[in-house]
Amino acid sequence: MFETKDTEPIIELEKVGIRYGRGPEVLSNIDLSLQRGSFHFLTGKSGAGKTSLLSMMYLWQKPSRGRLSIFGNNVNFANRNSLSLFRRRIGVVFQDFRLLEHVSAFDNVALPLRVSGMSEKEIRKRVNELLKWVEIDRSTSAITSTLSGGEKQRVAIARAVINRPDILLADEPTGNVDNDIATKLMKLFIELNKLGTTVVIATHNENLINEFKYPCICLKNHNLKIVSAGERKNDMEI
Amino acid sequence: MIWKFKSSRHQELPLSKDSSNLFLKIMISISVFLFAVTLAGVLAINSMLVNWNASILGSLTVQIVPVSNADRQKAQEEILKQEQRAVALLEAMPEAKKVTPLNDGQLQSLLRPWLGDDVDINELPMPRLIDVKLKSGAEINFKQLAEKLATVAPQASLDNHKLWLNKLINFAAGLKVLALAVLLLVIGVTSGAIFYTTQTSLGLHKDVIEILHIMGAKDTYIAQQYAGRTAWLGLIGGIIGVLIAIPIIFLIAHLAGQIEGGIIDEARLSIGSWVAIVSLPLFSSLVAMQTAYYTVKHTLERMM
Ligand SMILES: Nc1ncnc2c1ncn2[C@@H]1O[C@H](COP(=O)(O)OP(=O)(O)O)[C@@H](O)[C@H]1O
Ligand SMILES: [Mg+2]
Repeated sequence: MFETKDTEPIIELEKVGIRYGRGPEVLSNIDLSLQRGSFHFLTGKSGAGKTSLLSMMYLWQKPSRGRLSIFGNNVNFANRNSLSLFRRRIGVVFQDFRLLEHVSAFDNVALPLRVSGMSEKEIRKRVNELLKWVEIDRSTSAITSTLSGGEKQRVAIARAVINRPDILLADEPTGNVDNDIATKLMKLFIELNKLGTTVVIATHNENLINEFKYPCICLKNHNLKIVSAGERKNDMEI
Repeated sequence: MIWKFKSSRHQELPLSKDSSNLFLKIMISISVFLFAVTLAGVLAINSMLVNWNASILGSLTVQIVPVSNADRQKAQEEILKQEQRAVALLEAMPEAKKVTPLNDGQLQSLLRPWLGDDVDINELPMPRLIDVKLKSGAEINFKQLAEKLATVAPQASLDNHKLWLNKLINFAAGLKVLALAVLLLVIGVTSGAIFYTTQTSLGLHKDVIEILHIMGAKDTYIAQQYAGRTAWLGLIGGIIGVLIAIPIIFLIAHLAGQIEGGIIDEARLSIGSWVAIVSLPLFSSLVAMQTAYYTVKHTLERMM
């Protein structure tokens, strides 16, 4: 329904500004165009606006000015229903997970499938498979609030990728896991990327950035700069 | 679409722990109780009205009593004149099917059982009677008719019992309108309470709703969870309300039955009326569900 041509950017920002209330602009005059199937890191100091930029991409925060297009549709003109349909094609890993604490790990991961009306039988199959993959399979029915931080993170990632989204946005997903697991999670994102998912990962983790040679979207002084893996070393400020 | 509860089998919103649930349950119980008792009253009045209407529909009798005049001849002429005018008036009524003034022979045969054969009724002051058959379904304004008759035939009088019954019918109909207004009021107040508690709950669960939205849930997905929860509260509250109302209705009926005169006797509730009262919990469940559903849709569109 919202198919874009391969040559058309999947996300496009033009002269976009973000501000909260009547405060100053967190980001100003942002121009950004992400091609379908691309993979980017998103870097910048704490408070630079990484979360703000991502929340605009998952269609929660509205740009306070400028144009945001997603799947070839100008978001300013989209109605509530189509926003919901767009969001179903975007997977999000939040910095603070934002899981439903009072339901099970299984129900959290099943959520994106349920809101889009998939049958329970199919949901059970898919969710159990993925939970096994992220090694949560022995505590699938445990209430989420009883899980450890690392387990919650894996549940959050499983929820983001369960319906093979067109876009995956991850806000510091490797924040509090050790490097082995961080690398394993990166491999999952790369797998998805190979299947065609456009990926943006906000991170502070220099090891990851150096190990996986993807371009960086760097936020600094309310502005944005794209730095490719080759020209990185001297210019990095994570 | 509201009926599709399949997709909301999973309650992501922890609505069963809302503290307003108890309030709503009690509120709905009281409302359904009031509704049931009032509805029983309306239905009873209705069945009374049907009986009374049946007894005054179809026909009426106009009587013209003799003037007390010393001159019998003159009195007789006067009464016949009035009879003619009354007949003309009645025949002009669109509701009248057939107007028959009883002739002397008929009048005599009506009176004979009381007076015996050997009384010459021409010697007595005889009232004249006019029998009016009405078209089916015709409703007569008795008061107006009585006034009109009085202008053309001052000695004419309408059947008294029917006139009195007509006043009673008007009173009962007024009472019925009042009771219907009370029913609407009860529905309105209950819906209002559901509206406000639902809005409060939406604010309370803002975080969860935000996550659902970001996952691509439409407002209807969230509205269905509220509808399901509130339908349940409406059902439980409704059952409690009806269970309290039934013995009260019996008590009132018993007390009313002790009134002399048999008027209330015609106010018996039919099987259909009882079915309506007993199925009130379904109705309250439906109203509660619809209210919650549309409150959520309305509020979310404005909230985020
Ligand atoms: N909900 C909010 N209300 C007001 N200010 C906010 C809000 N979220 C973020 N900010 C401000 O916007 C700026 C960017 O924040 P954020 O996007 O979270 O940066 P990052 O994710 O890079 O740390 C910060 O100065 C922060 O204080
Ligand atoms: Mg952040």
